[in-house]
Amino acid sequence: MENIIEVKNLAKVFGNQTALEDVNFSVKKGETFGFLGPSGSGKTTTIKILTGQLMQTAGEAEVFGVKNSSLNSGSYRRRIGVLSDNSGLYQRLSIEDNLKLYCDLYDVPRKRMDEVLELVNLADEKKKIVSKLSKGMLQRVLLARTLLHEPELLFLDEPTSALDPANSKQIHEGLRRLNEKGTTIFLTTHDMSEAETLCNRVAFLHKGKIQLLDEPMALRRQFSDGSVTVELRDGKVVNLPGGKEGAEEVYNYMSSNQVVSIHSNEPTLGDIFVEITGRELV
Amino acid sequence: MTLSWKRIYAIFQKDLKDLSKNLYVTSIFILPFLMAFLYGKMYDANLEIHYIIINLTLASVTAFIQCAVIAEEKEKHTLRGLMLSPASVADILTGKSLVSFILSVVTIVLCAMITGYEPANIVYVSIAIFISMLFYLALGTVFGLLTRTVVEASVIFLPVIFLFGFGSMLMMLVDKYPVLSFIEYLPNIQLVDFAYKVEEGAGFGELWSHLAILLAWGVVTIILAAVVYKKREIDK
Repeated sequence: MENIIEVKNLAKVFGNQTALEDVNFSVKKGETFGFLGPSGSGKTTTIKILTGQLMQTAGEAEVFGVKNSSLNSGSYRRRIGVLSDNSGLYQRLSIEDNLKLYCDLYDVPRKRMDEVLELVNLADEKKKIVSKLSKGMLQRVLLARTLLHEPELLFLDEPTSALDPANSKQIHEGLRRLNEKGTTIFLTTHDMSEAETLCNRVAFLHKGKIQLLDEPMALRRQFSDGSVTVELRDGKVVNLPGGKEGAEEVYNYMSSNQVVSIHSNEPTLGDIFVEITGRELV
Repeated sequence: MTLSWKRIYAIFQKDLKDLSKNLYVTSIFILPFLMAFLYGKMYDANLEIHYIIINLTLASVTAFIQCAVIAEEKEKHTLRGLMLSPASVADILTGKSLVSFILSVVTIVLCAMITGYEPANIVYVSIAIFISMLFYLALGTVFGLLTRTVVEASVIFLPVIFLFGFGSMLMMLVDKYPVLSFIEYLPNIQLVDFAYKVEEGAGFGELWSHLAILLAWGVVTIILAAVVYKKREIDK
C-alpha cells in the first residue's frame, strides 16, 4: 500500500534540548497510526513538523510526496485536518458561526456542518455560544471543524483527552467510520485503550526516540510470557506459566472437567511501555 | 499571491460579528466621537482640530482595533486555525483589515460631519486618507502579531496612539530642536501638511510628494506585516 507519510532520520533540537532524535516511520494510505508517548516525548513536535508549523533540525519529512519545506502550501492544507492542543475557537460566536467560517475558508457547502455536528453529537447545540461550552463540548466542536472539509489525512493530537467515556466512544465510532471510508489518521494519545481500539499500528515514543513500532496485537504477543489464567468450577482462579509445566496443569484441570474459562495473559500496551521505558504513559 | 473574495468576506463577516460583541475593543471606537463633540462645541474647529480627530481615528480605530483583533486571534489560538486553512496570507490579512477599515471610514465621515470639515478637494483628501489607512492597518497588524495578548497590545500601543494621534503637537519640538526634523516625515504630519496645501488650492504637482511619502510608509509597513506574519506561521 502507498505510503502517505515518510519520515527519515528526523531530528529536532530546541536550544540545547533534543525533542526528536533519529525518528523513522511511515504511514500507509488508509491506516490509523498511533503515536504513543508521555507528555514531552515529542508527539506534538512531530505533528507540528508534519503540518508545516515547525522546521526540523535534521532529517526528512514527506507527506503526500510533499517535502517539509512546502508543507505550508494551500493545496497541502486542503488535504489535511489538524486537531491539536493549540487549536482555538471564537469564544463570543456560536458553534454554527465558528463552523460557517471554516465552511467558507475550505469552500465546503454549509449543509456539511450538520453532518459533522451529528458525528460529534452536537447537532442540537449549534446555536450555543462557544464560551458557554464545557471542555468536552469544545473538544467535540474542534473535532467537527477538523472534519468539515473531509480531509484525506487527519492529525489528531489527544482527540479525546477531555471527553467522558460516552463521548469518547462516540468519537471513536466516528473515527472508525472515517477510516473505513479511506481517511488516513495520525493519532497521538497516551490512552492505551484508545490506541488498541483505533490503531492499525502504533509507535512508542520516549525521550524523542521511537522505541517500538508494530501492530498492537503483534506487540502484545511479542511481550507475552505465554502464561494463562484459568477459572475453575469451584470459583478458584489460577495463573499458570507458559511451557510444559503450565501445559500439564491445564491438561489436568481440563481432563478432570474443572475448567470454566482460559485466558491468555498478553500484556497491555501500557504494560509494554512501562517495561521498555521504565515509566508510566501519562 | 492569490486572493479569494469568498474567504476574505468570510473572515470579515466573522470579525464584524465578533467585534460587535467585544465591548473592550468597541469602547475605543467612542474616543474620536468624544473628541469631535468636545472640540466641535468648544472651538470654531479649524483644520488643525479636524486633523487631530482624523489622526486620532487612524491611530486608535484603524491601527489599534486592527492590533487588538490580531492579538486576540493569537491569544485564543484561532490565528493558527486560519494559518492551517487554505486561506493565503493576503486572504487572511485583507479579511482581518476590512472591519477596521470600514469602521475607520464611518468614524472619519461622521466626525467630519460633527466638526463641520468640508475639504476643498474631497478626492485628493480621500486618496491621502486611504493611503494613510493602509499604513495604519499594517502597523496595527505588525503590533498585533508581535504581542501575545490583547492587554499586552493595549499597553504597547499607547505610545503609538500618542505619537500618531497627537503627533502634530510634536511639531513644536521640531522648531526648538532641528535634530528632530525627521518628525516632519511621519505619516500623520504629512497628512496635515497635505490637507493645508489642498485648502490653499494646490494641484497634484504640489501634492504628489506628500502622497509618495505616505505611500512609502504604507508599502514598507505592509511588507513588514507580511514578513512578520510568515515568521509567525512557523514556530521557533
